[in-house]
Amino acid sequence: MNMHLPVSVVMLLVASCLATVGCGPTPPAPFRLNMVEAISPTAEKDSIAAEQALVPAQQKQVATILLAMFGTPDAPECLPETGLDPAKLRLAAGPVRSDIVGRKNGLYREHCVHCHGITGDGLGPTAAFLNPYPRDYRPGVFKYKSTERADKPTHADLVTILHNGIPGTSMPSFGLLSPTQIEALVEYVKYLSIRGETELALMRYFFELDDEDEGRLSETREFLVDEVLQPIAEKWVAAADAIIEVPEAPENLDLAVSVAKGKELFYGERANCVKCHGVTGLGDGQANDYDDWSKNIVKIEGKLTSLAGNDLDPAERRWVADFGQVLDGEALRPRTIPPRNLRRGIYRGGRRPLDLYYRIHAGINGAPMPAAAGTVSPEEIWHIVNYVRSLPYDFDGELGVDRSVAIQPPAAESFAAQENTD
Amino acid sequence: MGLMARLVGLLLALSCAGCGPTQVSGPVADRAAAAVLRETLLSSDAADDAEVEAVASGTGWGSLKGRFIFVGNPGESTPLLVDKDTTICSKDGKKLFDQSLRVDPSSKGLADVVVFARKASRVREPMAATPLVFDQKNCEFLSPVLAARVGQPVDVRNSDPIGHNTNISGSSFNQLIPAGAGTIYTPDRETGMPVSVTCNIHPWMKAYAVFRKDGYVAVSAADGSFELANLPADEPIEFQVWHARSTGPNGGLGLDQPTLKWTSKGRFTITIPPDDIEDLGTLEVPAAALGI
Repeated sequence: MNMHLPVSVVMLLVASCLATVGCGPTPPAPFRLNMVEAISPTAEKDSIAAEQALVPAQQKQVATILLAMFGTPDAPECLPETGLDPAKLRLAAGPVRSDIVGRKNGLYREHCVHCHGITGDGLGPTAAFLNPYPRDYRPGVFKYKSTERADKPTHADLVTILHNGIPGTSMPSFGLLSPTQIEALVEYVKYLSIRGETELALMRYFFELDDEDEGRLSETREFLVDEVLQPIAEKWVAAADAIIEVPEAPENLDLAVSVAKGKELFYGERANCVKCHGVTGLGDGQANDYDDWSKNIVKIEGKLTSLAGNDLDPAERRWVADFGQVLDGEALRPRTIPPRNLRRGIYRGGRRPLDLYYRIHAGINGAPMPAAAGTVSPEEIWHIVNYVRSLPYDFDGELGVDRSVAIQPPAAESFAAQENTD
Repeated sequence: MGLMARLVGLLLALSCAGCGPTQVSGPVADRAAAAVLRETLLSSDAADDAEVEAVASGTGWGSLKGRFIFVGNPGESTPLLVDKDTTICSKDGKKLFDQSLRVDPSSKGLADVVVFARKASRVREPMAATPLVFDQKNCEFLSPVLAARVGQPVDVRNSDPIGHNTNISGSSFNQLIPAGAGTIYTPDRETGMPVSVTCNIHPWMKAYAVFRKDGYVAVSAADGSFELANLPADEPIEFQVWHARSTGPNGGLGLDQPTLKWTSKGRFTITIPPDDIEDLGTLEVPAAALGI
């Protein structure tokens, strides 16, 4: 009896507290404006200046245009010019819930958001703890694809990534999802990407304005749709026609001969793979470069450092202070990008010979890896593919240029054996 | 009872602190305006107030020239950190220097200033068929600024005995260039302001590239002089001026001149009489405009 009263008093207090303060409904998750870009709206981040940072009214205009064109995370919209399928977007968007026929909705928030973020900015809560960082979709740049370097990935490329995941990274396979669900997620990734690219284009356009525009973008259909949105959307549509043509690997080719030729190319001055992937193939060559996402932050920080010693006027001082805040909250610490260690047999973009062919032919968009096509012939690319595929099995002898070349074909069983011992 | 009191306190604190609505930071869209705008964007027969394309209003052709002079002390160039392929790149202890500020010691001419027309109503010159040469030697780009017309072939060469890759930012071009070889790149779109050109194998290498549809782009020579010929005459043309080290927005270089009005973005508008050479004379660039 002695204990009974205090417990009920506690319950009463908690209940009344909850009732008075109230756990109102959580406000719907909003898209976040790209603040790094808003404060340095240009592709060349080392030539930024305080006066080009977007003022609050301009930021608000961009947010308003984006809302009109793309809706919200709970209610995405897409203009017909985007070529996106609204039904697929609805399945992927919004909070996780079941619809009237018991079908799961809100797939992006169930599976993707914790790394890639509501806005697709790669700034989800777990992002800072991952290496490599999750992809930021907003620049519309994707690494692992079957198209030429600057082209968008095809729909099938993104489906493959979702299906297989990206080995060697935190991106898992979503192979257990149904094809319909994967379709919906791919469509939503494209949506976030087109939205992000539109945002970048709008922000960078302020510099192109004439004085009589008074710092405000035109809100006509001609400007927003025809001039800004359509060129972005068309590149996504064009991806299907930009697939790299791969000639069949030469038939009746002696694998040992091909591997030897590939080795010669790897170390030679034409393909020059050795410069970055190292004489050992361990990825220990030129290794202090950055990918495009990190490089932007490095350039901004370099610019701010160079300003630090100067006499700054109040506007510049405010800009530098704003930058500090934005970089703290809206950007991940830049990391150098190591060239792939080719002896581990882990290939992020897929381990089929065809995948390696694409990487060597076109290089990797957003990363330092350059294109070899045009410099070496398709047949020579196949030789390099064969050599690269032999590297994980090249155990006989010391690492270095003089070691003998492994000539055993990388059979499927040995792949499995290699992975089990890893 | 003391424990109970603490428990009550804790629960109170938790239930009160935990449930405020999440603060949304950053700019917030104007919902009403967005709804109206969305209607505009969805209607296919929207009012036709397209941006006015540059329409030829004059006839004849003229030229624009001038000379950029650096006023002040440019200081010493910074040696670059050369830590790859040193047998070639810093042969016999030769140092490589930052090329972003090149001032001719005798004439004080400022090189590598880019001047281009923002819009041109007409173009006189047909597309040049001979490729421009963009070469690299001793791990240095030989042209600090490459200016080409969209569609004009550029021969990207490598005169070094080692391989390079040439990576033009924002384009599709990041290509291996083997020792002593070259490859043709044809720019397929305008850059707006110049973009950076780098070599990922030798990260200190840096140049800029600017591609314009009409080809009305000039880069100042070692003595600071530039000339744009065959410009549409008798109608106002707006020019953009750029320098890699300019403190202006996007590298735009604005000058303070009594006769010509420059905007803070580094632009000026001028009408050139037909068959005339408009000479802007000596254009003084103060050290402060380049952050020195």
